[in-house]
Amino acid sequence: MKTFSYTIQDAVGIHARPAGLLAKLAKTFTSTVTLEKDGKSVNVTKLMMLMGMGIKCGDTVNFTVEGEDEEAAAKAIEDFMKENL
Amino acid sequence: MDYRKCASEILTGIGGKENLASAAHCATRLRLVIADNGKVKKSMLEGIDGVKGVFEAAGQLQIIIGTGTVNKVYDEFIALAGVEAASKEDVKAAAAAQAPWYKRAIKTLGDIFVPIIPAIVATGLLNGLLGGLSKAFPGMADSYLFGLLDMFSNTALVFLPILIAVSAAKIFGGNIFLGAVIGMIMIHPNLVNAWSAGSGAETDTLWSWFGLWNIQNTGYQGHVIPVVIAVLVMCMIEKKLHKVVPETFDLFVTPLVSVLVTGFFTLTLIGPVFSQLETWVLSGAKALIAIPFGIGAFIMGGVYAPTVVAGVHHMYNAIELAMLADNGMNTWMPIATAANVAQGAAALAVAFKTRNKKLRSMALPASLSAFMGITEPAIFGVNVRYGKPLVAGMIGGACGAAVASLMKVYATANGVTGIFGFLITTETFVGYLLTFVIATVVAFVISYLIYRDEETVADNGSNGVDSAAEKSAEKTAEAAINLDKEFDDNCVYAPLKGTAVAMADVPDETFAAEVLGLGAAVDPAEGKVVAPADGEVSTLFDTHHAIGLTLDNGMELLIHIGINTVELNGEGFTAHIADGERFKRGQTLITFDKAFIESKGYKTVTPVIITNPDDYAEVKKAANGTVEFLDKLIETKKG
Repeated sequence: MKTFSYTIQDAVGIHARPAGLLAKLAKTFTSTVTLEKDGKSVNVTKLMMLMGMGIKCGDTVNFTVEGEDEEAAAKAIEDFMKENL
Repeated sequence: MDYRKCASEILTGIGGKENLASAAHCATRLRLVIADNGKVKKSMLEGIDGVKGVFEAAGQLQIIIGTGTVNKVYDEFIALAGVEAASKEDVKAAAAAQAPWYKRAIKTLGDIFVPIIPAIVATGLLNGLLGGLSKAFPGMADSYLFGLLDMFSNTALVFLPILIAVSAAKIFGGNIFLGAVIGMIMIHPNLVNAWSAGSGAETDTLWSWFGLWNIQNTGYQGHVIPVVIAVLVMCMIEKKLHKVVPETFDLFVTPLVSVLVTGFFTLTLIGPVFSQLETWVLSGAKALIAIPFGIGAFIMGGVYAPTVVAGVHHMYNAIELAMLADNGMNTWMPIATAANVAQGAAALAVAFKTRNKKLRSMALPASLSAFMGITEPAIFGVNVRYGKPLVAGMIGGACGAAVASLMKVYATANGVTGIFGFLITTETFVGYLLTFVIATVVAFVISYLIYRDEETVADNGSNGVDSAAEKSAEKTAEAAINLDKEFDDNCVYAPLKGTAVAMADVPDETFAAEVLGLGAAVDPAEGKVVAPADGEVSTLFDTHHAIGLTLDNGMELLIHIGINTVELNGEGFTAHIADGERFKRGQTLITFDKAFIESKGYKTVTPVIITNPDDYAEVKKAANGTVEFLDKLIETKKG
């Protein structure tokens, strides 16, 4: 299991497009990617739930990646977050 | 946040609890109905800590508090205001409690008799079958089997007072076994059977009620109302005793005293008085429908449906039971059948004539159910709403009932009318058939001739919670939306009007690449998004530029108004629904200022995306060129 935190830098937070991209990215791995914020957590591949978190600029989110390819998945997602959000 | 403080300030702001008519809440808002809107200090309400917004809509004062807190503020609020939490059932119950006494009495009678119907139907059907069989095979009546079955077939009627007593005790909140004892006392074998007494058997005077009248030792076979009254009295005594008798003695004192007192008064006072009253009511009903040449039945068959509307028909069970108990011939049931099938036929004519598919899809099953004896859907769903079919049904019912009276049709049970009524009218099959046919044909023809589709059929259907005012407001606002057509669960209907655009042509690579899901887009002609089907808001973005919906068919939809419009931070968008709220097809979800958004340099082309595409084998755009609200936009095939 890999975990890491990320604080959103992007002005508008995880809105529809980044959520879609993030979900799509997560789907390419067999590991389960979970995002947690303020005690609420969602499976990142569930686009509607992810958008429903209403994550905004300045929010800190915690990722948990668990599965066979967790190393690669965690890295890819962390890179994605840094690049896009 | 101090919920109590917030609640008490709101109460002050709306002008005190005297000015509050009712209170409810949804996921985010307090929804208050105010007596006098002039007393509401809106600016004060808006200034309260915890209140995020105040507006009036649909006759309600809606105060936005927020998810998770609104319920807490609401709890404090109703405690302070001293009003009960209003649920639909409570409102119904309150309405029922306010009903005049005679309506409540009639409803109570209905509540008592309806549970007994299966017993009467079982024996009555058997009775009917035996009647038919003995006609077909004349020798059969002598067989021991016939005798046995014949005995079964009258059991429920012979012991009817016990059944009624049990049911009444249950309704009146007493012990059902004590109730049964009262019923048994009334038909105790030591009393002379009322039927034998009626046909001349000797009865003795038991006692004289202070010289006013003589108490005969007759039973109450075939009586209905005296049993109900006796059990009512017993339950009142029993409940009172439970309260006053010390617990140690309650077990033996209460049942003993309840049965003793009630039994005595039943045989000496309640029985004689109410059986006399019942006889009068029954002979009144019989006299009415026995007015010669079918005139009485004609009248009754005509007014039967309105009495169903008034809810008075529950007491007909009492009349029918009394008739059955009296001589086994229920002459009321054919009238009920005539009235019921006529209403069904009138609704059927509407189903045939209307061009309104929604009405047809309702009228057809309602009509069938009326033919089976359940008339409420046809009467309330169709006939009363349009008026003319009700009248047509009344005329048909009157004609059918007249035929029934002229042909001397009777039933051997009650609780069954319509098609299944044939089973309990085997003795008078032809008459019943004629009754049925005449009522149906007359009502159908008249209804077909006089029914016309109304000019504006704009019933969006309501979710039953919101006020009538809200509905009518929605109707006006959404008159342009055509809900009056068939909707296929496998299709997505356009939530916007404008020009259909393929997803690949959306000027944004994320959408065009279908990263978020599959679907189609609309280049809007009007700044309004309506619900493509019934469902629930799963995500309303704070910026109101996009909304995620979960439809009742399991589809998850994202409607994203414009490209990059998240950057407008809500400016130009107005949400008409909150997160987690339910919506109906055609309901307005979001409106937006198209000109403003475009003036800021954003495109308003709106992707409509199925975000759970894995559940579908195929998703394709199904519209080209211009689409109106709720035109077919996307077709899907389930995976």
